Formats: sequence, C-alpha cells, structure tokens
Amino acid sequence: MIGSAEKTWFALMGLTIFGAVLGEAGNVGWPLTLTVVALIVVKSGIVMDHYMEMRSANKHIRNVLRLFIILVPTLVILSFAWGEEIRRLTTLN
Amino acid sequence: MLFSAYFIARVHNPEAFLNSPDKLLTIAGTTITLFLLSSGYCMVKAINAIRCDQSKIAFRWVNVAIILGFAYPVVKYFELSWYAQHGVDVEGGIFFGAYYYLTLNHLVHVTWGLMGLIFVAYRTGKGAYTSESYSGLEAAALYWHTTDILWIVLFSFFYILR
Repeated sequence: MIGSAEKTWFALMGLTIFGAVLGEAGNVGWPLTLTVVALIVVKSGIVMDHYMEMRSANKHIRNVLRLFIILVPTLVILSFAWGEEIRRLTTLN
Repeated sequence: MLFSAYFIARVHNPEAFLNSPDKLLTIAGTTITLFLLSSGYCMVKAINAIRCDQSKIAFRWVNVAIILGFAYPVVKYFELSWYAQHGVDVEGGIFFGAYYYLTLNHLVHVTWGLMGLIFVAYRTGKGAYTSESYSGLEAAALYWHTTDILWIVLFSFFYILR
C-alpha cells in the first residue's frame, strides 16, 4: 500500500528529475527563473511539511524555516530582475 | 551569509553564472539529490516505526538512511575527481569558486549529519528510544532533513539556474 510518506517521496523524486531535465535543456530567462523558484518552494515545502512535520512544530521554528523558503526565492527573483542595481549597491569603489 | 555570497557573486558576474553551469555534471547533482531525499524518507519511516515502539524496524530504517546518505560523499568524490581531470576548478572563475565554497560547506554539514545518524542508529539498536522518548532520534532526523533543504537550494542554484 502506498502511504503518504511514499507519495511524498515519489513527488520529490519526480520534481528532482524534472529539475535535472530542465537544467540539461539549457533554457535561460524568466520562465527558467520562475520554474526554479517554484521548484525550490515546492520541494522545500514538501520536506518541511511532510518530512519535518513543521505544521505541528513550535511556531518560532516553523517561522524561521518559512522565512528561509520565502527569502531565498525572493533573492533569486531580485538578482535576476534588478541584478545591475544590486551590483551597484554592493560595489565598494 | 553563505547564500548572500552566492547572490553577490551572481549579480557581479552574470556571464559566468549564465555559461558555467554547463560544465557541471547535472547527473551527479541529480544523483546526490535523489540519494539525500531517499535517505530523508528512510528517517521518516524510522520515526514512524519508533512511534509504534518498533525499535528493530526503526533501526533498519536508520541504517538504510545511513547507507543512502553515504552515497553523497561517494558520488561527490567521483564528481570532484572528474572536475579535477577536466580542469573544472576554482581558477575557472567566480562561479566555480562559489560552487566549491557552498557545496563543500554543505558536504561538511552532511558529514556531521551522518555521524549523528550513526550515533542514533547505535542508540536505536540498543533500544534507547521508545514511543514515549525518541527526541534524540527525532533531532538527528530534523538535522538530516535540513541538509536536504539546503541541498535542494544548492542543486537549483548551480545545476539548473542560468
């Protein structure tokens, strides 16, 4: 019988292989960036909710982890959309 | 801090981050991801087993998790050997500097995680955990899953994203 742990595992395997195929296809631009962001959010979210059981965890720990999967994709989008502006802001001279 | 280094390197060197991922072995990154996530699944099964007071079954699952987890350094070794033979090193540019910096940092944390899993496997085998008291096993599993999440991000950053 396939339980929820097995379904979660299958989903993670499928999403990983999809990501690999996407990487090998050599796409660039917004569609790739947004797909990668979605993959990070969905896969990390699955691990947090189903492997780590964060839904029933202490809310402070849960919020730290949620902040991580909000912050990282946001930085991916910001670095893609406003890379030049961020480059100027982080240049020392 | 580790990830901010990646983003700053990326915005300062967009060309390097556009072209260099083609030189990495996507199959190696994918294999590592599949092994790590499968190892994480085994730890979920171990926790489920100990909650039912099935310590022998939990012991087996933790051991399978360790075996799958050890596939990570093995695959990494072959991957890095291939890069060394093909001149893919830190002198190849900022992308590879960031790649080695972040992935080797992750490998160090995976090593700690594997040591933790070996310790809880020993404890589980000795019957130290029950359905009433398994916080040690759970803590090791949570650490292990955290390395999963970090690898999901690193895999996306270096092997997929252009």
